[in-house]
Amino acid sequence: MVKRMDDPTPSVAGELERRRVESAVWEALAAVHDPEIPPLAITDLGIVERVMVTGDAVHVDLLPTFAGCPALDVIRDDTERAVGRAAGDRAVRVRFVYSPPWTSDRITPGGRDALRSHGLTPPGAGGGSVFVPLAALDPPRAASCPFCGSGDTVLESAFGPTLCRTTHFCRACRNPFEAFKPKTRSR
Amino acid sequence: MGAMNLDEPRRALLLALADDELIIGHRHSEWTGWAPHLEEDLAFSSIAQDEMAHARMLYRLLGEDSGEDEDRLALGRPPDQYRNAVLCERPNREWGYTVARQYLYDTADAVRLEALAASSWTALAEIVAVMRLEEAYHLDHARAWFERLAAGPVTARHRLAEGLETAVGEAVALFEPLPDEETLVDDGVLPRSNEALLADWLAAVGEDLEAVSLDYVLERHGRVGEMVPTGSGEVAPGESLSVPGLARREGRWVHDGGFAGAGGRHGRHSEDFLPLWEEMTTLYRAHPGARW
Repeated sequence: MVKRMDDPTPSVAGELERRRVESAVWEALAAVHDPEIPPLAITDLGIVERVMVTGDAVHVDLLPTFAGCPALDVIRDDTERAVGRAAGDRAVRVRFVYSPPWTSDRITPGGRDALRSHGLTPPGAGGGSVFVPLAALDPPRAASCPFCGSGDTVLESAFGPTLCRTTHFCRACRNPFEAFKPKTRSR
Repeated sequence: MGAMNLDEPRRALLLALADDELIIGHRHSEWTGWAPHLEEDLAFSSIAQDEMAHARMLYRLLGEDSGEDEDRLALGRPPDQYRNAVLCERPNREWGYTVARQYLYDTADAVRLEALAASSWTALAEIVAVMRLEEAYHLDHARAWFERLAAGPVTARHRLAEGLETAVGEAVALFEPLPDEETLVDDGVLPRSNEALLADWLAAVGEDLEAVSLDYVLERHGRVGEMVPTGSGEVAPGESLSVPGLARREGRWVHDGGFAGAGGRHGRHSEDFLPLWEEMTTLYRAHPGARW
């Protein structure tokens, strides 16, 4: 490692402090929730792409789920506030980046549980073989009902009350329900 | 940083892409509250929201270079500076036309976005990757309705066919060459020329239409309507954009000849644009500098 006079290797104490801030930032991020799906933390939604803590700043890169989602601005503001409390004297820089594109297979198992607890069926897991081909009028692979668990359901529409939801009907318990819209590169 | 020249090639490309999305998004949003049923109300409202978000990402990229505000780019330009194709500005008319136009627009959009995903301009390729994941749903929606109307009953089929006849010529004009396009192609910013993209699109659409025995609309398509002055007064009376003819040769649909005159990509618009622009920009013009 090349050591330059104007850029000394951080002291052990400095590095420990940086790591402490980094883990505090991740903890703060785990407490930021999707305003439209309150049980779902943004870390479980899989939109936190990168956290970088330097000597004077904390950088957080987020990925937009659906580009036109109006909750994105709220999420950014909430993230700035939460990270600000963990960042001490450091400046906070939160931004949305487009690469890599967010896909719904970034939702963690904990995130899928949070969706279910909110009455939303999680999207098909990643990978080409299980993707639901959402032609609005074609019978797709059925989503399971979040209320009774039945697989005897029909897709009503690939579009719903928000950009990230599809609408379904359960023929078993006769309830309408919503699922988180799959978004994958394997289409 | 000063604003780039409007005909600077990258700017022309971004404006063509973004203005198409913004303007067709505006038309889609007009179905909110009026679509044939609730699911379609939600579908077109959602698609509109996606298209406007795509336009916003592209305006933001343009603004990074020119220092312009994204709201100003979307809503603060005079009408003759919009570069959308005329197809996007046409009113929704009725359901058959709406389905025909969405099918033609989203198939064409898929062809150009596939090419742009490999753009040498990384920032653009990244935005295009996000767009394609969302456009896949629009294409599914358009195809589902295309197939349903094409399958009949006969009134539905006729309305779709009429819509296609009306829209095909103007859909071809989505591929009107951009000013200084050669530069973009040489630099790999636009990896394939509009002429090559038109050929790909036409072959694919020709197959779809043949599969439902509606390919005759390609020969019968209407011309692009007359252009009217949109502020600069530069359009001579009777002037219009003429698009290549379409013909079936050796088992596939091809275009014949080139474009003449100037259309949306040169800021020329139909009589339908000004009323749309006036409505779309009313709030922005009434409250200059307002933030929301």
